[in-house]
Amino acid sequence: MTKRQTKPNRRTPRAAITGIGVIAPNGLRTDAYWKAVGEGLVVLDGITRDGCGHLPLRVAGEVRGFDAASLIEERFLVQTDPFSHFAMAAAQLALDDAGIARGEPPEPFDIGVITAAGSGGGEFGQRELQKLWGQGSRYVGPYQSIAWFYAASTGQISIRGGFKGPCGVVASDEAGGLDAVAHAARAVRRGTGAVVVGGAEAPLAPYSMVCQLGYAELSTAEDPARAYRPFTKGACGFVPAEGGAMLVVEDENRARERGAAVRATVAGHAATFTGASRWDRSREGLAHAIRGALDEAGCAPEEIDVVFADALGVPEADRAEALAITDALGEYGAKVPVTAPKTGIGRAYCGAPVLDIAAAVLAMEHRLIPPTPNVFDICHDLDLVMSRARPAEPRTALVLSRGLMGSNAALVVRRADDSAR
Amino acid sequence: MLTTQVTYDELATLMKRGAGVTVDPRELERASDTPFGILGLDSLGLLGIVGELENQYGRSLPPDSERCRTPQEFLDLVNSTLKAGA
Amino acid sequence: MTRRVAVTGIGVVAPGGTGTTAFWNLLADGRTATRGITLFDPAGLRSRIAAECDFDPFAHGLDPEPLQHADRYIQFAMVAAAEAVGDSGLDTVTQDPWRVAVSLGSAVGGTTRLEHDYVKVSAGGQRWDVDHRGADPQLHRAFSPSTLASVVAEQFGAQGPVQTVSTGCTSGIDAVGYAFHTIEEGRADICIAGAADSPISPITMACFDAIKATSDNNDDPEHASKPFDARRNGFVMGEGAAVLVLEEYEHARARGAHIYCEIGGYATYGNAYHMTGLTSEGLEMARAIDSTLDQARLDPTLIDYVNAHGSGTKQNDRHETAAVKRSLGAHAYDTPMSSIKSMVGHSLGAIGAIEVVACVLALKHQVVPPTANYETPDPECDLDYVPRTARERRLRNVLSVGSGFGGFQSAVLLTGAGGRTR
Repeated sequence: MTKRQTKPNRRTPRAAITGIGVIAPNGLRTDAYWKAVGEGLVVLDGITRDGCGHLPLRVAGEVRGFDAASLIEERFLVQTDPFSHFAMAAAQLALDDAGIARGEPPEPFDIGVITAAGSGGGEFGQRELQKLWGQGSRYVGPYQSIAWFYAASTGQISIRGGFKGPCGVVASDEAGGLDAVAHAARAVRRGTGAVVVGGAEAPLAPYSMVCQLGYAELSTAEDPARAYRPFTKGACGFVPAEGGAMLVVEDENRARERGAAVRATVAGHAATFTGASRWDRSREGLAHAIRGALDEAGCAPEEIDVVFADALGVPEADRAEALAITDALGEYGAKVPVTAPKTGIGRAYCGAPVLDIAAAVLAMEHRLIPPTPNVFDICHDLDLVMSRARPAEPRTALVLSRGLMGSNAALVVRRADDSAR
Repeated sequence: MLTTQVTYDELATLMKRGAGVTVDPRELERASDTPFGILGLDSLGLLGIVGELENQYGRSLPPDSERCRTPQEFLDLVNSTLKAGA
Repeated sequence: MTRRVAVTGIGVVAPGGTGTTAFWNLLADGRTATRGITLFDPAGLRSRIAAECDFDPFAHGLDPEPLQHADRYIQFAMVAAAEAVGDSGLDTVTQDPWRVAVSLGSAVGGTTRLEHDYVKVSAGGQRWDVDHRGADPQLHRAFSPSTLASVVAEQFGAQGPVQTVSTGCTSGIDAVGYAFHTIEEGRADICIAGAADSPISPITMACFDAIKATSDNNDDPEHASKPFDARRNGFVMGEGAAVLVLEEYEHARARGAHIYCEIGGYATYGNAYHMTGLTSEGLEMARAIDSTLDQARLDPTLIDYVNAHGSGTKQNDRHETAAVKRSLGAHAYDTPMSSIKSMVGHSLGAIGAIEVVACVLALKHQVVPPTANYETPDPECDLDYVPRTARERRLRNVLSVGSGFGGFQSAVLLTGAGGRTR
């Protein structure tokens, strides 16, 4: 491959992460999420949602005890789908964390909103489909037009915050979560002050689940402890989850000028495509994405202190990922600590890699590499951090993601005080 | 007897069910000239309420009903329409 | 040094005809493709009209195997992409596949298929606990919006960044914009860009019925879509796809490709106002236009044509007129601005890309397509909307703008021969 990537020049602002907001199955705030991730808490459990009990998908990561009305206005519970409730609530937490007030920002065009969405407003849509086909077209409500489509969360966050900057939606498979964050970082490098970015999903409605049953990679195991165990001989697919994370990605100079804490920087990203469910080929695609992300970050393989793996839980895909890490990082690939906290919570589609970015930043801050719950005995040449968190001094993290429709993405985040090098 | 009058209580219920906007019916009646927007009901919410009433009463409401700015204006128009057709 | 981005191929599936020739003939003749809905029985709906594609996916020499498993909107995209890539003269086999990207937009993705199968598994809307037995195992392909870009990437062996963009009714223009950025920033040399939607389905028609956004001129479907006309009463649903091959300028030159035009700039902003509502000022769309012109360092007086969003709703056309006046100043009155939605309807996410292709063709033919059905002026819409008849004009710099639910406001600038580039 010839390297033709345009390197950011000195005058290009760096993209800093100044806010993190999490609504996840294992934590409804960032601190609760980190505590659960650090301890390797497993929250995978039987699905309890109304109308889902008879389906052959038994285990998932449900967001439970979520009181949307405590974070967003009550009317949104009627006017939008849970995927937007999660995204709006996570965005609010991220903005609070970053110290950015919503309402009428002094420079509204300086703040944008970008989300990744892979499942849309499935529950809302099913309810309206039921009205249409069960009762008649006159019973379809007015909010269907704005709740089901993939752009709902970006639009609502933008309106609620008064943010008029570049707004976007990557409607994608899992890797779209990384693409969205990279998209935000590029918007910042192009001159936007800050972008509220991330992904949150709500795929656990009956009809949405019926649609997912077609994924050959889906785990239909009954036992939560055995349902999602990537990199092991018992790997039997992935467990879906809901929720996700939103970040504030901001021009580093802007952040420092307003006295905001720079928690990390988005240093590099690359994405490739190797075909839907072509997991053998994802080895090459993921390795290529890793090299591209390292190149953009100006980062040598040995500088990577931890890898947050995609960890699909399908033997062929796990093998491809393990090999891709070694292909891209060389011998160091077998030495670098690798982790996959998502085995405790499931894969929240586009939300999953954004949760991993949050975990990566928190791991660097807390000097602790979180474990990979439920995984005890791996059959790949990786240094996977398994049952217990490992104290470390991670300064640079590599986050990987692959999507069921064939995307591969890699993203490098660096600790704030290391970003200058 | 089937009532053909929409009350403030019913309007408050419709606002809650259709748009998730909680408003005390007495407060709604007292502040009946407060614009819907201030009460938290957007244009889509009002469209939804018009649709609900049309389904409930099995008849069309005039196009102006979805452009009413206040609860009083809305109930006046809706009730005069229902009365005229009763 | 900034990388320039050229358009080297175009393809379209639109109401009124498949392929760029049929499409351009329709626009240049000012004919309309709106009609009573035939794709399903629209009885009971308020709006029973649409611009439908008479489309035979198997008539275009594509491999029937992937086609037959693809949803209608993806079939549109595959056919439009094949035309665009063929038109560009690119031999995709000899390209470095890591340097070929895909950026495709769709507002509602596989919802038509999702609805179709929902009816089966819910016993006609009777049960919430839908029955998975008998559900098509391919349904996840309709569920996942990224299927669109994924299928087209596989069609051409693209291995670079592949993404599906879904910003409602600006999806098409934004997908082209993202593609422009992808090449400009050096992440690919070629990007297959565009959009597709096939939203003529009961649920989508019903949801726009519910908010009265669509026209109910059911008795006169051919003249139902009346952008900027005082008698306009909503948009007419459409369907289709358009795809462009965007290519790094020197890459295109090196292989001797025909360059239609360049992408001179792109911007998008949110209005942060309301999910469906628009202000009468058009501040945010104006900002998108201004930003686009700034990128190209182009004076507003050098804009020769504005391809409007022109959906035909009361508020959109007023909003947009205000925005264009705000950006172009007095020059707005000397600039033809037309809406092809008068002829091909509003295909939600697809239309933005279809309109960009219309602009490419306008530059090629040096002809401004008209706004069909425009007869009665509206005092709030007082620009030159090119009523009913196409017009020859020297075209160098052409703007296409879009506006969508969620508050998205986007603009893209195309620069043809003799136009100003950076």
